Amino acid sequence: MDSSQFLAIENTLFTAVMVLYLASMVLYFIFFVMKNEKAAQIAGWVISAAFVLHTAALVVRGVGAGRLPLTNQYEFATSFAWGICLCFLVFVKKYHFRALGTFVTPVIFLLIGYAAMQSREVRELMPALRSNWLGIHVSTAIISYGAFGVSFAVSLMFLLKQGRENHDFWKKNIPDYDRLDIISYRAVSLGFLFLTFVIITGAIWAERAWGSYWSWDPKETWSLITWIIYALYLHLRLNKGWRGRRAAWFAVIGFVCVLFTYIGVNTFIPGIHSYA
Amino acid sequence: MERLKKAGRFLRSMKCAVILLVILAAACTAGSLIPQGQTAAYYAANYAESLAGAVLLFHLDDVFHCWWFVGLTIFLCVNLLACNVLRFPALRKRMKEGFTATKRIAEWDGVPAAVTAEEPEEIFKRLGFRNVTRGVMAVTRLTQTEDAAGAARSESVPTRYAVRHRIGVWGAWLCHLGMLVIIAGFGLGQMFQIQYSVYGVPGQTKPIGDTGYELRIDDFQVKLREDDTVEQYETVMTVTRAGENPAVAGAAGTGTGETGIPEAAGTAATVSVNHPVTIHGMKFYQNSTGWAANVQIYKGSELLQQGVICAGEYALVEDMEGLAVLLNAFYPDYVRGADGMPATASSELNNPGYLYTLYYNDRILGMNVLTEDEIITVEDYGIRFTDPQQYTLIQIKRDPFTPVAAAGGLLVMLSLVLAFYLPPEEVWAVQRSDGTWALAGRSRKAGAYFLEELAKYGGKVPAGSPPGDGDKLTE
Repeated sequence: MDSSQFLAIENTLFTAVMVLYLASMVLYFIFFVMKNEKAAQIAGWVISAAFVLHTAALVVRGVGAGRLPLTNQYEFATSFAWGICLCFLVFVKKYHFRALGTFVTPVIFLLIGYAAMQSREVRELMPALRSNWLGIHVSTAIISYGAFGVSFAVSLMFLLKQGRENHDFWKKNIPDYDRLDIISYRAVSLGFLFLTFVIITGAIWAERAWGSYWSWDPKETWSLITWIIYALYLHLRLNKGWRGRRAAWFAVIGFVCVLFTYIGVNTFIPGIHSYA
Repeated sequence: MERLKKAGRFLRSMKCAVILLVILAAACTAGSLIPQGQTAAYYAANYAESLAGAVLLFHLDDVFHCWWFVGLTIFLCVNLLACNVLRFPALRKRMKEGFTATKRIAEWDGVPAAVTAEEPEEIFKRLGFRNVTRGVMAVTRLTQTEDAAGAARSESVPTRYAVRHRIGVWGAWLCHLGMLVIIAGFGLGQMFQIQYSVYGVPGQTKPIGDTGYELRIDDFQVKLREDDTVEQYETVMTVTRAGENPAVAGAAGTGTGETGIPEAAGTAATVSVNHPVTIHGMKFYQNSTGWAANVQIYKGSELLQQGVICAGEYALVEDMEGLAVLLNAFYPDYVRGADGMPATASSELNNPGYLYTLYYNDRILGMNVLTEDEIITVEDYGIRFTDPQQYTLIQIKRDPFTPVAAAGGLLVMLSLVLAFYLPPEEVWAVQRSDGTWALAGRSRKAGAYFLEELAKYGGKVPAGSPPGDGDKLTE
């Protein structure tokens, strides 16, 4: 098979993945709005299937392109969505928390939609991107952003739960405040650890490629801003007891910064990361 | 004096750290949104008058190098250092004395995570705790009497205790230390690094700043793929001491440097993007490329001078003072764009076009695009461009503090793993009056989930079971 055939398969898989993510989002909404537990069960299967196909799509694209599919806006957007889905499935398995899907699937769907709007053309890598550090740097970014996406969704649930504590559905399906708070914290911890890896591996790579490990490039700077925001979250939480509502707002603001670092910087601020 | 102490307390407080981080984040935001390093005229033209004034007043045109940003970073370092110095004795004490069965059980509120009839040591081992300490503690046990008044009796009860990941107490401390090392490495690097750029075409030899070394460009290749995209830029070069003949010196080269490259005078190496090389302690990076051309200056039909100039460089006409030509840009496949502006149709050398500006005593005489066979004429003088070729730009850097910053980065990564995934965890068990064991545990970061995990391995707490079996545990 030649690369165009691989990419045709990837195209089909990507379309299927989009449809499945949309379906899981709708099912989770049915679960949430119509209190239909069966819908949540089906949504769980659908999103698992979507994740499997999404993984296959990324692998097929990688094989077709002859490199890791992590080098342009389309590839990173679809990988970002994959990362959130992976973190979501891990957290659901660990904390048995299906309702999280209602808040995570819209984020995944938005990212997949954003990916669909980007050019899917496979371009050869420019010399600066031809490095083993590419895989390490970008894959850690996917895990980091995925974990922050989950913390964002959990924190939204926390904020929306207020005033609905006594609703039977919320009582049954949404964990109590303490549990939501700690799940969000754990997602932030994971994301923060990986964001640190992202920044440091990026610095090592930048030193090799550009001769400077830190140049205050907008992407670098916004990664640092995001890192500072989550560092503040962790300090205030562990030392000043900023839990609950305040911590949830921090996680939401942090994810807005993550999105700006990924989409906003590329769109609005020119820099040497403009291919990312 | 009291004020000084108060200032000192504030400087080492977390409140100070939070304030500094918020200001630094805001400064970074400004620095990324406002174009940096532009002229005052640029800000005046692009911003409202008051905003442009504020940009210049607060040095927002060069945020990351201005005095207040550097000052805030130094403050943050002082804060981190003070915080670490103050916390060190407490952490060391905690590491040495903080993890003991007597201390932990005495502080326990008596609420078990699980109750089991099984020997706790086995449960703890299944949880991953290796060294379980067996002990005995004095317990004041309350017993119910017929008149319902509690009667206290003292007895010794067996205990079990285990701890793991004690090193995790250092996680945050090491993270702060790592941040300090990174900032120190970066700051010192900014102060003491040397950095030069050398550009030219094969055959040219250029000095590397004031290092006493020269760089000769032996070859430069732009490797293209079949689809005409660039696969790699690659420069073959020789570094010599100034004034030495590279060919002779290279042949005599002996010894190896840290990269295995011969370190004697006349060291040849190949540098490409993502593959820098180190020679004589300097690191050479393939940084950029562009077009150069041979400029020929005639008087009548006599060739007076010729030499290679890169796009952006001038050639001075030696025979006529004040006359100069600037090669503004080069178009390998020159065409006129739809807007009438010069452009290139491809990267192939099909129709070379040279955009030039002619100066005489700093006055512009003319500006146009010259093709391969055309000549600019000024009085008796003729100027033409030939032999376009790509030049290479090599960046040369010596920053002895890069390894320091790298060590700081490594420390931060390891410390965060310690802080988040290897926090100290303790488990203990106290035998109850009925022979069963009350299990409990503590994990600073995992909290309730750690207890749930413990409960999974033990038995359920019997309904109505009073916390700790009504025992008052004493040291």
